Amino acid sequence: MKKSSIAGLIIIAIAICVIISTYADSSTYGSFSDARETESELHVVGQLNKEKELFYNPQQDANYFAFYLKDNEGKECKVVFGGSKPQDFERSEQIVLTGKMVGNEFHASKILMKCPSKYTKDEVEVTEVSATTAKI
Amino acid sequence: MDIQFVGENLLPGKLGQFFIILSFCSALLATVCYYFATVSSHGDSFQKQTVAGWQKIARVAFSLNILSVIGIGSCLFYIIYNHLFEYHYAWAHSSKTLPVYYIISSFWEGQEGSFWLWTFWQGLLGIIIVLRGRTWENSVMTTIMLSQAFIASMLVGVEVLGERIGSSPFILLRDAVPGPIFARPDYLTMITDGNGLNPLLQNYWMVIHPPTLFLGFASMVVPFAYAIAGLWEKRYSEWVKPALPWSLFAVMILGTGIIMGSFWAYEALNFGGFWAWDPVENASIIPWLTLIAGVHVLVAYKNSGHSYFTATFLVMISFVLVLYASFLTRSGILGETSVHAFTDLGMFWHLVSYILVFLILMVVFLVIRWKDMPITKKDEETYSREFWLFIGALVLSVACIQILATTSVPVFNAVFGTEIAPPPNVIQHYNKWQVPFAVVVAFISAFSQYLKYKRTDAKKFYISIGVSLVLAVFITAAAVYITKVYTNFMYIILTYAAVFSILANAKILGDAFKGKWKLAGSAVAHIGFAFLLVGALIAAATNNVISVNNTGIGFGDEFAKSNNPRENIILYQDEPVKMDRYTVTYKGDSTEGVNTYYKINYRVIDTVSGEIKENFDLYPNAQQNVKMRQIIASPDTRHYLFHDIYTHVSSVPLKEEEHEDHEGHSDDENYEKPVNHEVNVGDTVRFREGFITVKAINRDAKVQNIPLSDQDIAIGMQLEVNSKGKTYESEPVYLLKDGSKFDFGKKIDEAGLKLRFTNVFPDKDKLELMVYQKPKVERNWVVLKAIEFPYINLFWGGTIIMVVGFILSIFRRNKELKQSR
Repeated sequence: MKKSSIAGLIIIAIAICVIISTYADSSTYGSFSDARETESELHVVGQLNKEKELFYNPQQDANYFAFYLKDNEGKECKVVFGGSKPQDFERSEQIVLTGKMVGNEFHASKILMKCPSKYTKDEVEVTEVSATTAKI
Repeated sequence: MDIQFVGENLLPGKLGQFFIILSFCSALLATVCYYFATVSSHGDSFQKQTVAGWQKIARVAFSLNILSVIGIGSCLFYIIYNHLFEYHYAWAHSSKTLPVYYIISSFWEGQEGSFWLWTFWQGLLGIIIVLRGRTWENSVMTTIMLSQAFIASMLVGVEVLGERIGSSPFILLRDAVPGPIFARPDYLTMITDGNGLNPLLQNYWMVIHPPTLFLGFASMVVPFAYAIAGLWEKRYSEWVKPALPWSLFAVMILGTGIIMGSFWAYEALNFGGFWAWDPVENASIIPWLTLIAGVHVLVAYKNSGHSYFTATFLVMISFVLVLYASFLTRSGILGETSVHAFTDLGMFWHLVSYILVFLILMVVFLVIRWKDMPITKKDEETYSREFWLFIGALVLSVACIQILATTSVPVFNAVFGTEIAPPPNVIQHYNKWQVPFAVVVAFISAFSQYLKYKRTDAKKFYISIGVSLVLAVFITAAAVYITKVYTNFMYIILTYAAVFSILANAKILGDAFKGKWKLAGSAVAHIGFAFLLVGALIAAATNNVISVNNTGIGFGDEFAKSNNPRENIILYQDEPVKMDRYTVTYKGDSTEGVNTYYKINYRVIDTVSGEIKENFDLYPNAQQNVKMRQIIASPDTRHYLFHDIYTHVSSVPLKEEEHEDHEGHSDDENYEKPVNHEVNVGDTVRFREGFITVKAINRDAKVQNIPLSDQDIAIGMQLEVNSKGKTYESEPVYLLKDGSKFDFGKKIDEAGLKLRFTNVFPDKDKLELMVYQKPKVERNWVVLKAIEFPYINLFWGGTIIMVVGFILSIFRRNKELKQSR
């Protein structure tokens, strides 16, 4: 057998390990009830409950941000994030949290938001257009 | 019912749309003609005239294509530049306040503009092939024009059988966006301005980064087209030579574009770093890595005849991966895994078909030509350069597979209907794999330079690398100690590998100056790459958040424990805070246009002598949007030779809507609503910061400039004000003159008070005191995050050195190409 073929086989073996590890490392999307049952970090997708207050008071603590999130099953949970309030947070349509439950709070290590960006979506822009009309 | 709309300028749009259709049709025509020109030059019925005829039509079609591409660009630029907001593209991506250079960036902010950029570059590269490609023109241009036709089709935006094909940049606002105002003929008078460019993209790097990146993407098609042409025309080994400088060009430009993006992210975004393994970043680095691998095996094949299949495969798959990258970023499939992908424009399957066509093209040619390919049956020598070039290419490929596998998780989910989430700690996940790969690649990039093709004397080889290997141990020890990366074993190994690579290649470079100039390009590029690795490693591994704050109050120790380090700190105006070795003071803010700049002063003060050793200001800025109650922050960075201080604001007090001056502006508006008290001598009245005591009544008060007659009564209320421990005297006056009541209030600015004696109630034996108090002054503050990035200049510097190396190599390979003719 050629040396390069052997090298090729070894590489393929490593490649398979790599792919398996990717899926071993990967996490799952879940709900708050899933989060209660597991120790490991997972992703929770949900919407911000805009009726409840967002708590961020940098004068008290610049690294404490808390809010209420409704997961996709409709369950609500208090979420605590150890950082400053992300920009654009109030306008988020959907939030993906990475983290785990600590007691009755979900401690998020990462927050990812999907916003109806002014720059990419048309719907929000329309309201701006009609606002101009009202002025006239 | 047709409405006659007023004020629309429809000509540039119509013209532009015409150019789009023309560019699509001409590209298709050129593809077909080049195809027949190629085929007829090989068949049995070979006729020079037929070939020339086809080629002539193809060239005319290609010229038309170039013209129409320029036409599209001109029309679109005209629309954006003249703020024709009847067009959706201009309205969505630009505004009247944008300076000209950002109008250029708004040109390619949208998907349509970036497709145009791609087709423009691809056309330009096509011109070079037509002018310089000689015998390769027909076959290579067939593939390029096919790709050109695909990109043009992305811009068409015409409905065929109920499906919209592509997305046109010339679509009108009233067609793109539904809204009641479009029922009015004069709707344009109401659209006074566009939406403007995303503030994050308003950065000079955004003017230059996309064109570079897209030139890189576009140039990847050339080596691919050469590989296809080589297999198609059975010119199996011939294609390698002309494809080599093109491949080097593509990796050089794409590499530059990627690093520019990284620099932009570092300078303008506040995610606090230069590489985040975001899917969008990964998508562009994957084809770069495969083509880097491809370049190395092309060289190996050219010199030894080994690795033909690997070289061909890697060159071809690189372009397919470019298409895959554009699919990932443009189809919206990345969804919640990426922060900055485009949204779907309804071109999902269109993009998929682009990939599939070129993938199938590649597979078909590889399969039908499999038996004829010059694949050697001989075994490589272990001590030969070709063997290690091959191994290096394989390692790079596996590194790619790892990035590809994780990045493609959303695709995997879409195909198999699973719901796998990306790893919770993405950066750790990638680094775990990429660091060992980088180690191996760095080692190979060093010692393979000392190997000869075919066969090398093992003893000589070990002697020549031995010195570098030993010397690298000492340098690594010093470097690791100074840069403090000794916390992780893999980091030490990577540093060693990179140092070894720098030393070994420096020696080769030294020989180059003595006349062996051939390897100079690769030596320089490898040195640059090794510096880049060390720089990235040190900056990423030892970057240090200096705005650490442990003063969180009131949330329990449990919270503080699990969330260390706490990376944001609050600064009150003019109150210095010690951060690491810096004394940091927030000095105030200033507003310029939409941006508010926060002046942050950094000082290093010698603890012994009290002498100021360093003193500089940083101006991180934030765009405040009062309506949305949000900020968009951009960092500011102090660059030193050996480290950077990077600072951005995380939170700032939101500005209130500007209080406009109006008529009848009264002094009282500066105060809160007054409080009325009915008092007598000896009474005490409280206010927020203290209390007021009525000391006495002065029945003989005087009012300046007002002469008093005998009938007039002027009474002063002598008050003692106690505010925050300080005592002030004050005497507001009440005046009855000619039967009218007046009062003369007194202000105590230090206590923020205004006091009025406004009435006398003789029946109740009371006096009326009105207390005005200024609203509580909020201390100005910012929440700040500051990171120190050590040795990050190695990363940027390494990139520049690497690009220089690529340029040298391109010159060398181009010269070889000319000599061989």
